[in-house]
Amino acid sequence: MSPPELRTRGRWPPPEGPRVAIVGSRRPSPYGEAVAEQLALELARRGVVIVSGLALGIDAAAHRGALNAGGVTVAVMGTGVDVIYPSAHTVLAEAILKAGGALVSQFPDGTAPRRHHFPARNYTMAALSDLVVVVEAAEGSGALITAEAALDLHKEVMAVPGSVFSPLSVGTHGLLRDGAGLVQNARDILAVLNLGGEVLDDPLAAPGTLGFKLRPERDGILSHLSDVLAVNASELARKLQLPIAEVLGRLTSLELDGAVTRHQGGYVKALRRGKERA
Amino acid sequence: MLAGLGVRPIRVEAYIGRGEVAFIVVGLATTTVKEARERVRSAIKNSGLDFPHSRLTVNLAPAELRKEGSGLDLPIAIAIALASAHRLPPPRSAFVGELALDGSVRHVDGVLVAARGLRELGYERVFVPAEDAEEASLIEGLEVVPCATLLGVVNHLLGVEPIPPASRAAAGDTPSAMEQDLAEVHGQEEAKRALEVAAAGGHHVLLTGPPGAGKTMLARCLPGILPPLEFDEALEVAQVRSLLGELPRGRPLDWTRPFRAPHHGVSTAGLIGGGSGLALPGEISRATHGVLFLDELAEFQTPVLQALRQPLESGRVTITRSGGSVAYPARFSLVAATNPCPCGWGGDNVRVCRCTPAAIDTYQRRLSGPLVDRIDIQVAVRRVPLEVLAAEPCGEPSSVVRERVVLARRRQMERQSVLNAQLKPTRLRQLAPLPPESRRTLERWSARRGMTARGFHRAWRVARTAADLDGSDTIAEHHVLEALGFRLQDVAA
Repeated sequence: MSPPELRTRGRWPPPEGPRVAIVGSRRPSPYGEAVAEQLALELARRGVVIVSGLALGIDAAAHRGALNAGGVTVAVMGTGVDVIYPSAHTVLAEAILKAGGALVSQFPDGTAPRRHHFPARNYTMAALSDLVVVVEAAEGSGALITAEAALDLHKEVMAVPGSVFSPLSVGTHGLLRDGAGLVQNARDILAVLNLGGEVLDDPLAAPGTLGFKLRPERDGILSHLSDVLAVNASELARKLQLPIAEVLGRLTSLELDGAVTRHQGGYVKALRRGKERA
Repeated sequence: MLAGLGVRPIRVEAYIGRGEVAFIVVGLATTTVKEARERVRSAIKNSGLDFPHSRLTVNLAPAELRKEGSGLDLPIAIAIALASAHRLPPPRSAFVGELALDGSVRHVDGVLVAARGLRELGYERVFVPAEDAEEASLIEGLEVVPCATLLGVVNHLLGVEPIPPASRAAAGDTPSAMEQDLAEVHGQEEAKRALEVAAAGGHHVLLTGPPGAGKTMLARCLPGILPPLEFDEALEVAQVRSLLGELPRGRPLDWTRPFRAPHHGVSTAGLIGGGSGLALPGEISRATHGVLFLDELAEFQTPVLQALRQPLESGRVTITRSGGSVAYPARFSLVAATNPCPCGWGGDNVRVCRCTPAAIDTYQRRLSGPLVDRIDIQVAVRRVPLEVLAAEPCGEPSSVVRERVVLARRRQMERQSVLNAQLKPTRLRQLAPLPPESRRTLERWSARRGMTARGFHRAWRVARTAADLDGSDTIAEHHVLEALGFRLQDVAA
């Protein structure tokens, strides 16, 4: 099957080298976002072109990771290449172009976002990549359409496991059950691309932007938080047997230091750099 | 006659002259007042009194004021009856009431408002419909004469058979009823604490959470943790109700804080007040000294929400209609509630939100802006699964929380005579100084989250309230941190 005719902005075709699509939820957990960013960073350092869809969440994290490595990344869009969607990603799109990447689309210029355009875009994304990595996808997520398209096109599909408590793991774990490759770190992907040496079960290093200083007196709270699921302050107060006012204050203090992030559903622990986890 | 919560006394003069038989009312009377002629004529005749058989002129002064309402029936009839008897009314007395054709005196709305206004104008005696006497007698220093029938009033005035004045209504010790007790809410400690701080400092609250999380239940708890109404507050609440004819019989004064929850389809007139002629109070005035609950905030029409801005700032609302401008009290605690996104499931741990980024963006934009900017406390309400719900402790009853709120409010009134939420920035700096460490924390947050100057002051006020609840004279760092915990709007999406 030949790919549809493409409209492009920036450098197209991209420099020679393997292309890996990193896709996933528009509303990932901090964990998923960190994984996508770090995988993209390490792959881009090895000359891999990172393909994604310029959407919120995992897509943006993948583009960002590639850019942080000074790498090339391609955004496959569901709108015309002159229509940045979501508009909040205008700066990101410009950074992609400036770094020698490209915006590509199968839709004519000026095409506005349409719900039914995105599945077709997901198919194109698979067609333009050698391998698809899914990071956090709930049941029925668009990222699963990309994975299915990749299988149709006889391309490799890999998935990052997540927490079994999280609805965002249902899609990825389903892929793993059906035979997708397991991704624990960038070397797993590089090995499939025949770029890596030995595959080791090392943990993936968290991205550098997530480091924070530990203050021992607050560790009590941190140990009750998860980096995947949001825990709310009421629940923490009950577990720690502390007044709610104090728990709220301590959480805000941790938040100021970047050790936790607040989400609609509660508080989530930020990831620390690998070495400190002992 | 009433003009909002003010009163415009009308002087009624009757002249029985010679000439063709006629009954003429002059003085800018509207239809309702012109109709008084027929009621007055029948009432006088059916009371067994003489109706003058000649040219009768009734003048309503001041002539330039439009006269409305049926409350003028009684004074017109009395003027005619006294003119026939060649007598003058007692000095510094006022009459209000509608007449039935048989001569009995009927209820009119707003007697409490009239009585209060008249006393302030120096009147000493007021004749009101018997059923409204209790309402009027809430006002101190005013003799209230209950009028059951026109004949009774005339006999009283002619000294035939005096009517005993109404005894002053016992400004009772009716216990305040409670909408909902905090003890009935399982878990939700974060939201309960937010309500406590809101009650203590007079702050407005925004509750964000998925459907079924208990936002309405929490909102209904707020009146019960506010201190009972003061006498003047209760009087103002009763005045608004009196004006609308909503004052319950036999219990005109109620110490319970009002709780109003208008539906999101409400019109601007319904919310802030309106109507033809002179505007009537709307939901925000009905909620005065109590709680205004706006559920599904994003569903309200934008102009309706914008109309809330002036009253939120000033605690009063001024409405101009064809009949003139009136001002009503509108000092309420706002509790707004909203889903986090159109589908309602954003941020839920179990259900996945399926909203498009554009839809969420539009939704958030409707919420942001001038109204939410005026809300000091924002808190996320989580859906608690049923099995967890049963295990979660119920927590303190409202009465215990209310004691802390009362103490914290007393501290504020002693220090600054207003609640923290109403402190202007200059007075805030004077009366609630931030120690260096607390200021640094607030500034750090401000720098990280790009908080506006207004947001900075709002967090500062909430921190002052947290300190007041703590019984602390200084704002410690942990008070600031708690206040920042209630700033959901600074969190990047």
